[in-house]
Amino acid sequence: MESNKKYWKGLEEYKNTPDFVENNKNEFAEPLPIEDVLNEAGLSTVTPRRDFLKALGFGLGAVTLAACQTAPLHKSIPYVIKPEEVVPGIPNYYVSSFNGQSVLVKTREGRPIKIEPNPNAGVFNSGTDAQTQASVLDLYDVSKLKSPVLDKAEVNWSKVDEFVKGELNKAQASGKKIRVISSSVNSPSSKAVIADFITAYPNTKHVQYDAVSYTGIIKANENSFGKAVVPKYNFDKADLIVSFGADFLGTWISGEEFTAQYVSNRDAKSLKAGKMSRHFQFEAGMSLTGTNADTRVPVKLSEEGPALITLYNAITGNTLAGGTLPNNVTADKALKLVAKELLQNKGKALVVSGSNDVSTQILVNAINSAIGSYGTTIDLDNPCKRYAGNDAEFAEFINEMNRGEVAAVFILDSNPGYDAPNAKAFADGLAKVGLRVSFSDRKDETASLCNVIAINHNYLESWGDANAYEGYYSIVQPTINPVFNSRQAEESLLIWSDAPVKEYYQYVRNNWEKTILPALGKTWKDVLQTGVFAATAKPAGAYTFGLSLTAVIPSILNNSKALAKDIELQVYESIPMRDGKHANNAFLQELPDPVSKVTWDNYIALAPKFAEKLGFKEFDVVSVKDDRGYTIELPVLIQPGQAQGTASIALGYGRTKVGKAGDGVGQNAYPFVSFTNGTTKYATTVKLSGTGKREELAQTQTHHSFEGRNIIRETTFTEYKKNPATGSGNEHGKHKSYDLWDKYEKPGNNWVMAIDLNACTGCGSCIVACNVENNIPVVGKEEVRKRREMHWIRIDRYYSFNQENDGHDDHAAHGAHGHSNGINSVTKEKEIADLTEDKMNNVSVVHQPMLCQHCDHAPCETVCPVLATVHSSDGLNHMAYNRCVGTRYCANNCPYKVRRFNWFNYWNDSRFDNYLNNEFTQLVLNPDVTTRSRGVMEKCSMCIQRIQAGKLQAKIEKRPLKDGDIKMACQQACSANAIIFGDGNDPNSEVSKALRSERIYYVLEEINVQPGIGYMTKIRNTDTTVQA
Amino acid sequence: MRDISLIVRRVWKSAFMFTALSVLIVSGTQAQDVVEGRKLFKDNCGSCHTLDRNSTGPALTPKLTELDEAFAIKWIRNWKELVASGDQQAIEAAKFSPAEMTTFPRLTDDQIKNIIAYSKAGEPKKEGDAALSAAAGSDEVSDFSIAGIAAIIIISIVILVVLGRAIKMLERLILKRQGVELAEEVPFSTGIKHLFKNKKFVFFFILCVIVCLGSFGWMGMWETGVHTGYQPVQPIKFSHELHAGTNKIDCQYCHTGAFKSKNSTIPSMNVCMNCHKSVQATEKYDGEISPEIQKIYNAVGYDPATMSYDKSKEKPVEWVRVHNLPDFAYFNHSQHVVVGEEAIRKEKGLQPNEPVCFACHGPVDTMEEIYQYSPLTMKWCVNCHKDTKLEVKGNAFYDKVIEAHEKIKKGEKITPAALGGLECGKCHY
Repeated sequence: MESNKKYWKGLEEYKNTPDFVENNKNEFAEPLPIEDVLNEAGLSTVTPRRDFLKALGFGLGAVTLAACQTAPLHKSIPYVIKPEEVVPGIPNYYVSSFNGQSVLVKTREGRPIKIEPNPNAGVFNSGTDAQTQASVLDLYDVSKLKSPVLDKAEVNWSKVDEFVKGELNKAQASGKKIRVISSSVNSPSSKAVIADFITAYPNTKHVQYDAVSYTGIIKANENSFGKAVVPKYNFDKADLIVSFGADFLGTWISGEEFTAQYVSNRDAKSLKAGKMSRHFQFEAGMSLTGTNADTRVPVKLSEEGPALITLYNAITGNTLAGGTLPNNVTADKALKLVAKELLQNKGKALVVSGSNDVSTQILVNAINSAIGSYGTTIDLDNPCKRYAGNDAEFAEFINEMNRGEVAAVFILDSNPGYDAPNAKAFADGLAKVGLRVSFSDRKDETASLCNVIAINHNYLESWGDANAYEGYYSIVQPTINPVFNSRQAEESLLIWSDAPVKEYYQYVRNNWEKTILPALGKTWKDVLQTGVFAATAKPAGAYTFGLSLTAVIPSILNNSKALAKDIELQVYESIPMRDGKHANNAFLQELPDPVSKVTWDNYIALAPKFAEKLGFKEFDVVSVKDDRGYTIELPVLIQPGQAQGTASIALGYGRTKVGKAGDGVGQNAYPFVSFTNGTTKYATTVKLSGTGKREELAQTQTHHSFEGRNIIRETTFTEYKKNPATGSGNEHGKHKSYDLWDKYEKPGNNWVMAIDLNACTGCGSCIVACNVENNIPVVGKEEVRKRREMHWIRIDRYYSFNQENDGHDDHAAHGAHGHSNGINSVTKEKEIADLTEDKMNNVSVVHQPMLCQHCDHAPCETVCPVLATVHSSDGLNHMAYNRCVGTRYCANNCPYKVRRFNWFNYWNDSRFDNYLNNEFTQLVLNPDVTTRSRGVMEKCSMCIQRIQAGKLQAKIEKRPLKDGDIKMACQQACSANAIIFGDGNDPNSEVSKALRSERIYYVLEEINVQPGIGYMTKIRNTDTTVQA
Repeated sequence: MRDISLIVRRVWKSAFMFTALSVLIVSGTQAQDVVEGRKLFKDNCGSCHTLDRNSTGPALTPKLTELDEAFAIKWIRNWKELVASGDQQAIEAAKFSPAEMTTFPRLTDDQIKNIIAYSKAGEPKKEGDAALSAAAGSDEVSDFSIAGIAAIIIISIVILVVLGRAIKMLERLILKRQGVELAEEVPFSTGIKHLFKNKKFVFFFILCVIVCLGSFGWMGMWETGVHTGYQPVQPIKFSHELHAGTNKIDCQYCHTGAFKSKNSTIPSMNVCMNCHKSVQATEKYDGEISPEIQKIYNAVGYDPATMSYDKSKEKPVEWVRVHNLPDFAYFNHSQHVVVGEEAIRKEKGLQPNEPVCFACHGPVDTMEEIYQYSPLTMKWCVNCHKDTKLEVKGNAFYDKVIEAHEKIKKGEKITPAALGGLECGKCHY
């Protein structure tokens, strides 16, 4: 099967709109006003001789004065008493955990500056997600409170303690209810603290609720198998994955871990072994997981239930009602196919659903039971403990408050005032509570409703632990002294409950030594060193679903019917913002959404045809109104692949009290979430109406265009098995090339990189990792609109159509560079325009990380008039910032569009007040990397500071440099191991092996700039042996 | 006869020009000599000699003033040869101390003359510290010598002018006697005016001015931002001479970071307290604790009377940074003092008893107060990276690296530059 795919980055490129063509001519969005200067006053004005002399005199004087400075007076202030373990200039690493994942925290002179994955983390040994990478910036957030607050006034802790204890005793005496509200707690010590608090105040109940809830799965498993848990999913054991709206590579339960598992069946190693899993995705909005699927079928939200019934019927031969998809022939056909494949892959398949509806999840359990997933791909005996929220309990708690039964509320690590399904009812109820304590670190939406804000430590200042999976424990240890006058929430609870041990460190240690360590046979010191312990996993039992589905099906169909009556709205967690907890994190705000490439905003995503039908164009601001009357106005984003008749809006935006960066970014979509049938639902129906306004989203997708050149190469698994080089463009051997330039000698090391397009899921954690490592400025929405984002690495997202091209014959006319040379999977310039639009529904996506390619014959180097960018003998393209005068010729001449120009001093300019523009936040900067000044070009340096540090370490230890000694920040963060870096001169290095793969191709190899980064072809497992 | 007078006049003119130019050149080179001499002195002599008092060797200012220069040169280069040749003066001089003086066969005559010039002239005035009276004496000497030279030049110009006028007068007399009619003698001021109407002269004059200003400007630009000799006043009068020189405390004892980190690290005050808890220099202050040591106690909140610490009184000492590298230049101490130690020692000709730190920081053990010894310019870095031969034996890291470099295998010198050490990104990132 020869494919003839055309790739395009966005609709404007696809349609070749005049704007796009115009923008594309220039590297920089805004041309310099040279013409104006020349036309107008510029040349015609006569500079009077006196003015000229004045300017000359002033200039000379100023320069002379500046040069007269004798010596800079810099203070050098050593520690008074230096901590033994700190050597200024050398980082220390501490193990800790973030969201249950064990991480290493890199500190310099006592300041945490980078989060890295813990290589000893066992099950969780994947990379880190964007939130984890960005979390270090939260520590240095200026929007946090500096002391605890009592009745809107900053006070000291003793006053808070006195007040809270007094109120608690009153509440306890009155017999009214006390409630501790938190997001899911998996920390054994926190749980013990809350248990102690309940013992001290027996009227207390702990209610867990999550902004994005998994109650549906928990309840369904309780119902089906008597186990109220989120199971452990083993995507690595699944040869066939079918997902119904579950974004398991992104936001669903444990994205990074699932990414690592998922990719292990699809990466270069697995392909070499002739194995590749197969992934079907049925979903409404285009999710990160959907973009990675081998086959993605858009289905409406109302069709998801019937689709599952169809699948169930097809697998089991039952004839449950509603098992048809009359309006979606493609999906119906696909489901029949999937059912057959699932039966073929019994015990090696997995079906997941992103729904939080109990009935739907029970049906999914039935399907999984029918295909033998339990005990293999689903493990109910070593469950995931990260989510334990109970929506019904939380809804009941709101009712209790409104009935006036609650006397005291403690809100820990959650923000119901913003993200509760019915935030209004929550706020009303809370007003009736006497003691309202928030443990938030800032005056957020909930804390501002409370009378006490007992500010909690950041996790980097805390002691603690986590228990992400049954038997899997990790430790949280502080890496910096508390910056502000905060106190750990657990310690506050201990003090208020008059516990015998009030210091939380001691409490955690006692708890471990008493309950966890004896079973593992380890000591407290071991814990602090390794950070994680995993008990031997229990054998996963094979569970069989034996219940009747008769009660379940009508519920599913009713839901479906309710949704089908109008435009179906899906609210979802976006990759950068997730549930909105970290909305004040500028790194995350500026991280482009992996699919839409939008930064600093949410939007309403509509399918192209559907938008046309409704009469909306891209960026039109529309008013979105639900049944209950909640209305927001959001710009439209035209999203190819979105199911017709549906719309998607990301959660986590529209925060009002989070801080400088996050306030007023986007609109809050949480009010669209509803509590029905015992769980929260993330789908509803809305009405859309135009407002006549237009707001351009800060989208990065079509910046830095390749002018339709041949960038992506892909093939199918079947073709790959026949010839591994298929689709790489090199399957018929390489062209002979002729060099205009002298060859660079790279005798010592040759730093190169290989990127596996089949492993990369496009999640974007590498971007944040790079930002943190290399002090990359955040520029803000307005600047992103002007195409001035500073990211050194970006992930290009290309769409292409799934079916064979209609204009096949037309293309044959292009003969010379089209089919005749047999490279069919290659897009030729200008061919994009030939494509027709009716397949817009059915697009596939390729993600391609793009960074400086460190070309041997770098076009940027030859045009730099001041030799600011030059080549090194180890294969890197160096950038000497202090030489750069900002001509920007290099950026114009770079075929990969990876050079970034500093338009401002982002760290010292009041216009960019959301990130580095204060001394406190500047502490997050990596001291080994220069902060670039205004007027200077920058680009990926291949983490040269890490290369140099790695080499030095080897020299000091008098040993040769080993492969793997030096890791790039992006590589480290990547859960999928899609980025491999190393010495190309060492034939045994991982990267050399990777670069010898048949799948390797170099982007724009034909222009012979000899890039140092090789890409491995994207492979899709689309061909099936099963006949539909 | 007129021809003769013309020739004489021409000679006089060029002599005048030459003298005027030499004023600049001489004053320039003279200053350079002393600076050069100081550097050489610090590199080679400073560890045993001081200028004004006897230490391992005799005080050099009186000694070299007293000695004949030719003898001194021979002595410094190789005194052993001189003694062996039976020179009586040398044999006498060798009796100063049983410690043998090092020989310096590598030093050229000019270099030794520079050292002598410096020794005679003494320490130049220190930047930024007018209060240092110690330097005042030597300043006078050097000022005086410059003034003297200037005076000599002015006098010689005057003499030349007078001679010129005398020649002119004589010429006129001769012509008068020969009966040639002469125009009235033009007054002096008119002569000057005439001079300025002489296009050749004006051109030459302007050229000279431009050359002078230009060369001053050029030199000035090279010196801009270069703070060699920078010696700010520090909050505590800490003497490296006493600690590193007299007491021979190893550099690493305090600057622990230099061997591990990019920073050499200024010691934290608890390191000072290791010794100064007991060392209080009371003998110098009539039984009182030295006020400088008291500053340490103040910083760490230590009360010597009760021998107890008060954490609330801790106050860090704000040292003034002496060595300021630009922010965009990455420098790593451990790279140089651990990995490059042997190479740097050899290149800089350090004695085995001298720490490798001296290569860039100079004879710290003789610095009463620390000053910037090296220019810390990029040229300075680069030159060293070009010249220094790496010691790659015994470090397995280099085995593969050397093996890969064809040119090195062909016998090219292994320098940091040959391994790519001069590429921008190696220090600027």
